[in-house]
Amino acid sequence: MSTAAGDPIFQVEHLSLAYPARRGQPAAPILDDVSLSVERGSALTLVGPSGSGKSTLLRCLNRLEEPPPGTVRFDGRDVTTLDPRDVRQRAALVMQTAVMFDGTVHDNLRLRPANVAGDFSDAHLTETLEEVGLDATFLPRDASTLSGGEKQRVTIARALLRDPQALLLDEPTSALDPPNVSLVVETISRLRQTRRLTIVAVTHQPELVHRLGGWLLYLVKGRIEAREAIEGGAVSDARLRAFLAGERSHA
Amino acid sequence: MSVLDLSAWQLALASLLVVVVIAVSVMQRLGLERDLVIGAVRTIVQLYLVGLILAAVFAAATWYWVVLILVVMTAVATHAAVSRLGRPLPGAYWIAAAALSVSTTATLAWVIGVIVQVRPWWEPQYIIPIAGMILGNSMTSAALAGDRLQSDLRARRDEVEARLALGFSGREALQPLVRGALRAAMIPTVNVMMTVGVVQLPGMMTGQILAGSSPLLAIRYQIVVVFMQAAATAIGSLIFVRLAAGRYLTAAHQLRRYLL
Repeated sequence: MSTAAGDPIFQVEHLSLAYPARRGQPAAPILDDVSLSVERGSALTLVGPSGSGKSTLLRCLNRLEEPPPGTVRFDGRDVTTLDPRDVRQRAALVMQTAVMFDGTVHDNLRLRPANVAGDFSDAHLTETLEEVGLDATFLPRDASTLSGGEKQRVTIARALLRDPQALLLDEPTSALDPPNVSLVVETISRLRQTRRLTIVAVTHQPELVHRLGGWLLYLVKGRIEAREAIEGGAVSDARLRAFLAGERSHA
Repeated sequence: MSVLDLSAWQLALASLLVVVVIAVSVMQRLGLERDLVIGAVRTIVQLYLVGLILAAVFAAATWYWVVLILVVMTAVATHAAVSRLGRPLPGAYWIAAAALSVSTTATLAWVIGVIVQVRPWWEPQYIIPIAGMILGNSMTSAALAGDRLQSDLRARRDEVEARLALGFSGREALQPLVRGALRAAMIPTVNVMMTVGVVQLPGMMTGQILAGSSPLLAIRYQIVVVFMQAAATAIGSLIFVRLAAGRYLTAAHQLRRYLL
């Protein structure tokens, strides 16, 4: 991750961020001097207690939050100089709650800004649904009637239809029950293999951490407290191991 | 036909009606006696003050006094609209002031200048009550729209961010919420148009009839009033919601989540 050379898709350098001060409230720091680099096609998992800034860091990568100029680079370019709408197509975010808009699965998959090109034909929609473990029978279904796990897989398919270079996952499984967690974890790790996608994930789910592999980063109060490569699913840092074990026990 | 005068002792008789209300409050232990007394006193004092001011403005009959009164009315309506918002919104005063002054000025110009053709335009007998009715409607609808937008932004934040994450612009991402807020603001007006004169006789029409107008003239004025209030509602809430929605977005199509 922070090693030399390679082909980084995300580079974060000395990123500090605070919510602006408001009447009666001082500015609240969220991220404190965070630096990291994510190689193209690799995986990075962000873990840490709630309020540690993991989601904010993730959202800086596709500019849903505004990082200070020069601190976040996407594909070698300062993200604040890029059109955020374009960045968000190329680094697609999947959120904790699977948002389905009114209409069918078909409508949801085809939802896009007017100027977005790409293949939104029924054949391609079906192929993409199959990639996430669903099939063409889902297309005419009312999106609001899907189960939580099905909805989350539709949002992943919706993200894939942008043909992104990276998937950003913000606790993609924490709203799901255990069988669905496994299905979504399975889907994500398979996509990483088949699509050579770069994946940056915020998660409390040890299963996802182990299946993704790559690098693990531990954030506390906006600072990186530990980082290590996951070798064969093993985690050597005691704090990380304790954190993952703890999360597992009350999962 | 002219209006019967009301003397001080007749007003005192009217005050007996408040005594009935207080009696109900005491008997049913509503605990509203104090507020009722204060409210009754305020009703008398505020209306007397307004009456004195209006009498002075009517007597002076100069355009600048009329304009000053209109500005004060707009300022009061602005404050009232802002104070009805569920949560503070930065710049709410400017947004409300813009929404109310534009909607009122535009509607007023059409009604006074083109429809009724009051000459001179600042004739206080026409412009002040008409402006009051327009402002009242604009104020209510702007507050309704703003309140709905704020509550929807909290309830449907994920939906907005999902749209942003899919590459929609901030404006596109908020459009469904803007539409919902505008509908919430305009539905009461549509309901009034559906039931006016059937369920209730509008206050202005009633007043005009009491003052000696023929009912057929009174309803003509009332038709103008209903339509102008509808226009003011649409213009006022549209400006308010658009400007307020903009406050929640950055130029980089981000939602300012700390404002929610």
